[in-house]
Amino acid sequence: MNNPGTDAAVGGELAQALAADHRPLHSDQTPAEWVKNNLFSSALNSVITVLSAAFAGLVLYFGIQWAVNEEWEIIRSNLRNFMIGQFPKDELWRPWAGGLALVGSVGLGSAGMARNAFDDAIEKGLPTERPTWLGLVRRFWSILAFIVIVLTFTRTILPTLGVLAGLGLFVAGRLIGWSLPVGARRFSPHVILVGLVALSTIIAGSGGLVAIVGGLVAALIVSAAVGDRIDRTAISGKVAALAIPLLGGVIVWFVMSTVDSFGFGWKDWGGLYLTLFVTVAGISTGMPLGILLAIGRRSQLPVIKGFCVLFIEFVRGVPLISLLFFSGFMLPLLFPPSAGIPDGTTRAMIVITLFSAAYIAEIVRGGLQAVPKGQTEAAQAQGLSAGKIQRLIVMPQALRAVIPAMVGQFISLFKDTSLLAIIGVAEFLQIATIANTQQDFLGKGLQPVTYAFVALGYWAFAYTMSKESRRIEVRLGVGTR
Amino acid sequence: MSDTTINADATQILGGGDAIIEVDGVDKLFGDFQALTNINMRVGAQEVVVVIGPSGSGKSTLIRCINRLERHDRGRILVDGIELSDDIRNIQEIRRETGMVFQSFNLFPHLTILDNITLAPRQVRNMPKGEAEATAMELLERVKIPEQAQKYPGQLSGGQQQRVAIARSLAMKPKVLLFDEPTSALDPEMIKEVLDTMKDLANEGMTMICVTHEMGFAREVADRVVFMADGQIVEVGTPEHFFDNPQEERTKLFLSQIL
Ligand SMILES: Nc1ncnc2c1ncn2[C@@H]1O[C@H](COP(=O)(O)OP(=O)(O)O)[C@@H](O)[C@H]1O
Ligand SMILES: [Mg+2]
Repeated sequence: MNNPGTDAAVGGELAQALAADHRPLHSDQTPAEWVKNNLFSSALNSVITVLSAAFAGLVLYFGIQWAVNEEWEIIRSNLRNFMIGQFPKDELWRPWAGGLALVGSVGLGSAGMARNAFDDAIEKGLPTERPTWLGLVRRFWSILAFIVIVLTFTRTILPTLGVLAGLGLFVAGRLIGWSLPVGARRFSPHVILVGLVALSTIIAGSGGLVAIVGGLVAALIVSAAVGDRIDRTAISGKVAALAIPLLGGVIVWFVMSTVDSFGFGWKDWGGLYLTLFVTVAGISTGMPLGILLAIGRRSQLPVIKGFCVLFIEFVRGVPLISLLFFSGFMLPLLFPPSAGIPDGTTRAMIVITLFSAAYIAEIVRGGLQAVPKGQTEAAQAQGLSAGKIQRLIVMPQALRAVIPAMVGQFISLFKDTSLLAIIGVAEFLQIATIANTQQDFLGKGLQPVTYAFVALGYWAFAYTMSKESRRIEVRLGVGTR
Repeated sequence: MSDTTINADATQILGGGDAIIEVDGVDKLFGDFQALTNINMRVGAQEVVVVIGPSGSGKSTLIRCINRLERHDRGRILVDGIELSDDIRNIQEIRRETGMVFQSFNLFPHLTILDNITLAPRQVRNMPKGEAEATAMELLERVKIPEQAQKYPGQLSGGQQQRVAIARSLAMKPKVLLFDEPTSALDPEMIKEVLDTMKDLANEGMTMICVTHEMGFAREVADRVVFMADGQIVEVGTPEHFFDNPQEERTKLFLSQIL
């Protein structure tokens, strides 16, 4: 997985792919010839060309007509709702500070990883290119365009300043991350993780969340470190293998009992900010959990296997909506009684995580089946432990095989978060509904405006996700087979 | 037993050296199917034993039992004095002492050639990166493809991949190398380069058990040839006697088909 070497011929490969896509005008072809050859080569082709052009023209005409004449005030006066929901006004610095922290750390971490890949390719004598600012803009243009559109709806200059500050932090992070020494750059992925935790902590305004995340991470690290040393055939090893995760669970449970409220805006935030956060949290916690479930499903121990199968099949067998409904009854059973019924945001976070874990587990299982048995045998024959075989040989190959399916899952998870409305979470789509019930806009038939805005927002991010997935595929496909 | 006899006893090491591998009365079952029946065999230090036999006779199963890719059901297997048991530490220890080369190479496609070779020394023997890479480069020189170190397996020819696989198994400095039809998946023009590498190893004194259909190799390099059929050892002898003067009907039949 951590094999930046495969960044290899990214530049070249990508250029080739693009060239194939564009089919540029041949140098010996005049534009007129190109039009004739490609658009009017036959009678049928000419008819299709004319019809398509007419249709595109009509759509464009009415689209612009509509956009110009429509009442956009509803977006302007609800812009903050669309972005962060009912987050308390006095605490608005929290989402800003958290967002800036995340943007800065993403800049730092991503540049560090890009530099690692770049140096690695140079060392191996593979063709490669430095990332450029223009390249970044191309990769993320739909998100950038959406941000610009959002800014045109603002009433004060402050949000624009905030976005500019974010941009500045990102650029600074990129520049610093690129020039850090090798030793420091090794921790690039961790920097991004820290940014995420910082964001959630600032917004939650509570140390309890840090304790939970920290406890989980520590438990994972300890079990990974100890996992390789455990001799599972000895009784002591069997006990240890069971005891460590259990112990981790108990610790987390007690930490949870001390958290009765995440305070501040946790319960009240919503909008696109929440939608994105729930998605990212669902992916980044659902992924390790899903991998563990996939491994567990192949376990020789009937208890572990049974639990994993039961969990995966249950979650996959029922609609997300019903899981969300049930979360109000089921989750309190998992929490210490003192915690009461967790608020909507917490429930949403947990359900989305478990839901994506179950789907990711099945995707990963498919990838695991695609890794030939000979790979494991070759590693066994060299004396590698079972844990290391999974981590270093089987999992990297399995995950790489399922990247497209995985990103597809991420995108549908992103859109599925719109269901969170039914447990009272004011996510992005729900704001559109809320806005249309406000006194100023009730009965004015402005649904198309709000939904168009929301759709554009979803699209901007989903499109980038799917483009990035293709880019990763190209990168990983190079030189591996 | 003199050097010239030929019989079904594979426990006699020529010249009478110490055994590195001892297989005593081993049976192996796959469900109801008995793949190995009462196998007795010894391999001495620096000896090259070639195992031949028709497809399905249990050759792969036999050498896969020696490094516990398969678990034997009855009998004892000792590698360098360590008896194979269900204890994982025991198994790991034996796997460190034995290298295996597979018919289908089984290189790790997501790692460079260099990383393929350094993986086990670094992860199992905790060798520092620099040292592991230096050793790997020496091994690549030895199999004559040092210039491929930074490539990925998919970029190499079959013959080159198999030579990398040999280098990879040598990186753990094993006492014994097990070969399971190393040339069977290769195009004819690449077979020689792999066989030459194996010959070099044999000449350098590596202890080897080779399952192969390359009779020229067996004749030239083997100290003993073991013929298996239906999960049993049928006949054992020096290459000269084995090929020129086989005793058993089944051996004769097999040789007449393959030569
Ligand atoms: N994993 C397995 N499960 C069931 N039967 C097997 C398995 N591996 C091998 N066999 C059977 O055991 C016999 C010996 O196989 P093998 O050792 O691969 O033969 P050879 O290598 O001599 O061709 C064959 O009949 C084969 O079908
Ligand atoms: Mg075989």
